[in-house]
Amino acid sequence: MRSRPRVQPASGRGRSPYRGYVYVLPALAVYLAFAVLPALHTAYLSLFEWDGVTLGDWVGLGNYQEILQDPILRRSVFNALVLVVFFSFVPIVLGLAMTGLLARHRRPGMGAYRFLFMLPQVVPLVAVGVTWRWLYGDDGLVNQALGAVGLDGVTRAWLGDFSAALIAVGLVGTWVLSGLCMMLFLSGVQKVDPSLYEAARIDGAGPVREFVSVTLPHLRGELAIAMTVTTVAALASFDIVYVTTNGGPGEQTTVPGLLVYRLAFSEGKVGLAAALAVVLGFLILLIVYLINRLSRSES
Amino acid sequence: MDRTHRVRRRVAAAASSVALVLPLTACDALTPGSAAAEPGPRSVPSSTAVPGEDITLRLQFADAPLMVDALIAAFEKDHPNIRIEPQYKTFSDYVQNLKLTMTSDTAPDIAQYAVGMTDLAADGHILDLAPYREAYGWDEAVPPVSMDQLTAGRTSETTGGRALFGVPAGLSMTGIYYNKELAERAGIDSPPRTLAEFEDQLAAAKEAGLTPLGVGALDSSGLHLWAALLNQTMPTDDYWDWVNGAKGATIEKPAGITASELVIEWSRKGYYNESANGTAQVDSTAQFAKGDSVFLINGNWAAGQLATAMKDNVGFFPMPGVRASARTVASGFSVSYAISSRTEHPEAAGAFLDFLTSPEAGQIISDNGFLPANPKAVAKPEGVLADIAEGHRRAVADDGITTFPDFAAPAMLDRLRSGVQKLIADRVEPADYLDSLQDEWEEHHAQ
Repeated sequence: MRSRPRVQPASGRGRSPYRGYVYVLPALAVYLAFAVLPALHTAYLSLFEWDGVTLGDWVGLGNYQEILQDPILRRSVFNALVLVVFFSFVPIVLGLAMTGLLARHRRPGMGAYRFLFMLPQVVPLVAVGVTWRWLYGDDGLVNQALGAVGLDGVTRAWLGDFSAALIAVGLVGTWVLSGLCMMLFLSGVQKVDPSLYEAARIDGAGPVREFVSVTLPHLRGELAIAMTVTTVAALASFDIVYVTTNGGPGEQTTVPGLLVYRLAFSEGKVGLAAALAVVLGFLILLIVYLINRLSRSES
Repeated sequence: MDRTHRVRRRVAAAASSVALVLPLTACDALTPGSAAAEPGPRSVPSSTAVPGEDITLRLQFADAPLMVDALIAAFEKDHPNIRIEPQYKTFSDYVQNLKLTMTSDTAPDIAQYAVGMTDLAADGHILDLAPYREAYGWDEAVPPVSMDQLTAGRTSETTGGRALFGVPAGLSMTGIYYNKELAERAGIDSPPRTLAEFEDQLAAAKEAGLTPLGVGALDSSGLHLWAALLNQTMPTDDYWDWVNGAKGATIEKPAGITASELVIEWSRKGYYNESANGTAQVDSTAQFAKGDSVFLINGNWAAGQLATAMKDNVGFFPMPGVRASARTVASGFSVSYAISSRTEHPEAAGAFLDFLTSPEAGQIISDNGFLPANPKAVAKPEGVLADIAEGHRRAVADDGITTFPDFAAPAMLDRLRSGVQKLIADRVEPADYLDSLQDEWEEHHAQ
């Protein structure tokens, strides 16, 4: 321990600048050991051709070259971007709409609403996937409901249909993430000064106007968080796809996360899997950076 | 101040997204190849004599836990000084971790044979059992064809003959189940003798307003169907060469085109259940048991379930050949066990593998719905189980048990599954499909 500097006010302003790091040291150590080092190790592995058992061969950037050339890998990135619409855009719109409906007045039973909408977040994604596979099945609830309203013509095994599978998987993500977005926005709304609403109402604003002029501007921070979290969920999606379709039919729902897993664990191409994971990580960082940039420049 | 705040927020966002991706990326903490440390001897010792001391063996496996428990109990009764600790894992868990498990210092003494074993055998992580094959005389009790699947394509360094890296307990085989009542309604009175006759029966079932063939192509039934057709169109030697990675072998042959075209043609004619691509193998089996289709493509592992659900109403036949005089050829594998190079008790582990070939073990295997290696040693099965045993006997007699096509390369399973889904959806030309398989094959076998 170094000796404390003389005659410093208790505000902490002039303390040794390193002192703060001592407090974060335990967290930093854990973070370095379990997040940063494995990430660097992954980047290192991505430079080898390695089957997971025998001695690896140094191939430099060869794995990255292969990623750019492989049509299945490119297709998987496209699928992930489609999923962003369902995991991010739709839940945010739905979350905003629900917030507009629920936030205006205090109603009895708010806790119950929140509980219900938050429920999909609490259930493990694997259980969500298994349940939806069953719902989407040939005799599943979705087809039964369609049949009940006379739409027998459109029923099918949704997850096995080349044109419907990706949308079906995307809607599962919508179901999971809408509640999360709503919760974020509801908590954001609670920070808004009630007098603003009062003023808006005195000025004759209707519910829509009130939402657009008062609620929405105050939710910018929450919107940025919601976009970040849901976009990352879409790009790094794995569990839902793995459990519902395993990438099929054909490559219609294959996503990068699934390929990373397959390449590493069942196909014995650990280096290629690591390279794909690195590319995926950078893609996510880039998008998160853009989202943050965007939400800042507006303010 | 605002600027640092922004930077911090950016760092925090970046960090949190990295943290979210990491579970995918952080696979294992090994430097590539450092696992290639000395695994131990490459072959079992020449002696089969089991030491009299107390021995505990660990057995890791993924199939048929009830059967394994019964086998262990019977074995321990015969060998009171040997205790076997079973460690059950689900199949996907088992296969994913197989390489890590078998190359670690805590590798189990005995492990179920699975796709990754070929690489492990090449690096000496599992023992060559060829000396025991001779010493114990396994060729008497086990059809050689099912041991030929366990050579990992290698020659034994000890005996100079074919290597052996596992001993089969239960054998498996794919084929067609049929619902007798529905078949009768469609005017079908006996199992087909030729492929053309089978096609006529599928057409008759369609004509009668029934779903002819149940396929669970969401996971593996699609590739079983394709392989069953390929078995009839392609000479088995060519097929074996391809699966074993023999130099110059190719799947891009007229026989491959014919089999793939049949899969498409049957789909165009509406022979499959409408949502074959969205139906898992277990679900297609359950639907067949309910009477949703006349025929079903699946393997003998579904027999127990179907016999319970449908009693005498279900029958089985291997996919018929192009001509009535053709050999019976069907794909199948075995539940087999290998011995780790790290075991301290290879003799005791060998004794357990030898026990698997005994009549007593055969009866346990048969009782659990698998095909015992030596069918003569067990009581005659009944109903659909008898159909399967008979089909298997014919295929073995014709030397016509071929392995599954996904053994050709580790990534082949995914290519086959998604490829057959595209065939069923009529979205790919047979030639392009075969080309995608061959690409994968060439990459793995580096040709």
